[in-house]
Amino acid sequence: MTAGNPNLNVQAAAARQEGSFESRFRKLLEAAPDAILEVNPQGQITLLNEAAEKIFGYSRGELLGLNVENLVPAAMRGGHSQHRASYAGHAKTRPMGTGLELQGQRKDGSLFPVEISLSPNWIEGSLHVIASVRDITERKLVEDRIRVLREQYTAELTAKNEQLEARNLEVEQANRLKNEFLASMSHELRTPLHTIIGFSELLTEQLEGPLNEKQHRFVGHILQDARHLLELINEVLDISKIESGRLELKRETFDFSHCLEEVLAGIRQQAASKNITLENKNTFQNTLCADRLRVKEILYNLLSNAVKFTPENGNVWIESADDGKFLDVSVCDTGIGIPEAEQSLIFDKFYQAGDSRKAAREGTGLGLSITKHLVELHGGYISVTSRSGHGSRFTVSFPLAHTPDIS
Amino acid sequence: MKRILIVDDKATSRELLHAVLAKQGYAISEAANGQEALEKVRAEGPDLVLLDLQMPIRNGYEVLGELRKDAAYAMLPVIALTASAMQGDREKALAAGFTGYLAKPVALSHLREEIQRLLDPGNAVKAGGTF
Repeated sequence: MTAGNPNLNVQAAAARQEGSFESRFRKLLEAAPDAILEVNPQGQITLLNEAAEKIFGYSRGELLGLNVENLVPAAMRGGHSQHRASYAGHAKTRPMGTGLELQGQRKDGSLFPVEISLSPNWIEGSLHVIASVRDITERKLVEDRIRVLREQYTAELTAKNEQLEARNLEVEQANRLKNEFLASMSHELRTPLHTIIGFSELLTEQLEGPLNEKQHRFVGHILQDARHLLELINEVLDISKIESGRLELKRETFDFSHCLEEVLAGIRQQAASKNITLENKNTFQNTLCADRLRVKEILYNLLSNAVKFTPENGNVWIESADDGKFLDVSVCDTGIGIPEAEQSLIFDKFYQAGDSRKAAREGTGLGLSITKHLVELHGGYISVTSRSGHGSRFTVSFPLAHTPDIS
Repeated sequence: MKRILIVDDKATSRELLHAVLAKQGYAISEAANGQEALEKVRAEGPDLVLLDLQMPIRNGYEVLGELRKDAAYAMLPVIALTASAMQGDREKALAAGFTGYLAKPVALSHLREEIQRLLDPGNAVKAGGTF
């Protein structure tokens, strides 16, 4: 029967060659990386494997019969026999000294960290204990290294967090200072403008006596430029409010065509001075729920740009369309137009018209950027189509059904 | 003749407002700070006060607070006039009890209109074409 199975034949031959079952079992123990010791009731080592010799630094001969306490650090030896006695009381396989940092002692007296598992081995009614001892020096080193790294990392993280918090405080403070500065700058600039604009206006009214033609014109220049200066100040304040997210809309329901008429009234003089035809082709006669002053600002910015960039005798007109969801308002002109390459840049902060339009170059370069922000704050959008030399069309779309701002 | 008290620490601003409003036929007096303003209101009993907000000694809010505590001036028209035109300033002023609010620089037509509205509501001027 055995002859029929070549595998069994090979195994049987190997067994014969390598020795008895006991010998094979011994090899199995010898191959274990952990030290395995058997200790008799007197505490003497009665059996051991090769790893035990290696780990503790004794020869087999030295270990056999040696009291196991010799493998325990001197400081712990006192309690060891007691521990062994208590193990005898409820002997079963279990790790030794759970939760404790156990150490072994080599022949040369050096100590090393160990993990020990104990098993009872009853021989003719007396308790022998089998101890499996693992040298965990390497693992401890790795664990220590990990702990050090983790501590380092945590410390670095804490330091970074503290830095960030400090930085946040600085930014907050800088922001507060900036806002205070803007508020006070606004106040300080407006105070003299108040009297410059007021007195020039008073003079142009000629209530205090007639001005000759030149005087009237000169005072008109002062008034116009002072108002321009005021616009620039307002733009700088606006952009800083927009950037710090402090610009809030005050929505109300108002008649759009009235609002547009007011804006056109303010722009007519500029158009007339260049003999530009200003036409209102608006057809939207409904109400809009928006920030009325900001809508006026949006329309004024677009119309005043159209007049600024349209040569004498040109046309500027405003038209509208609504699809029930959005009101599209277009400001169109027969002006110098915007080269295609520049069209995506004109809404950027501080962008100024290129060389071709240098003649008309004045202002902060914030107007269109502010306009875009204001339109977007309303939930709308702005777009431009233009052909260089043929004019531009700026379209703003305001949502007609206002959903409450989510902030 | 209706009497207006102009309160502003800047002399040039007082002169401007004085010139504009005197031409409208109002009797004008001036005060250069909050303390003086309170004294003049009590001594002269003006029909309207044009009150600058930022002033030394006592600012516009303090003056208004003092006036509104006194039953005799609880209904006195007081217009806040300020160069601090930050967002929320108008709401803050009206909430504090000012009757009106004007931001510097103020368009003259707007100034005249606002004062006429408060002093002579039956005969208010039409709004000027100011933007």
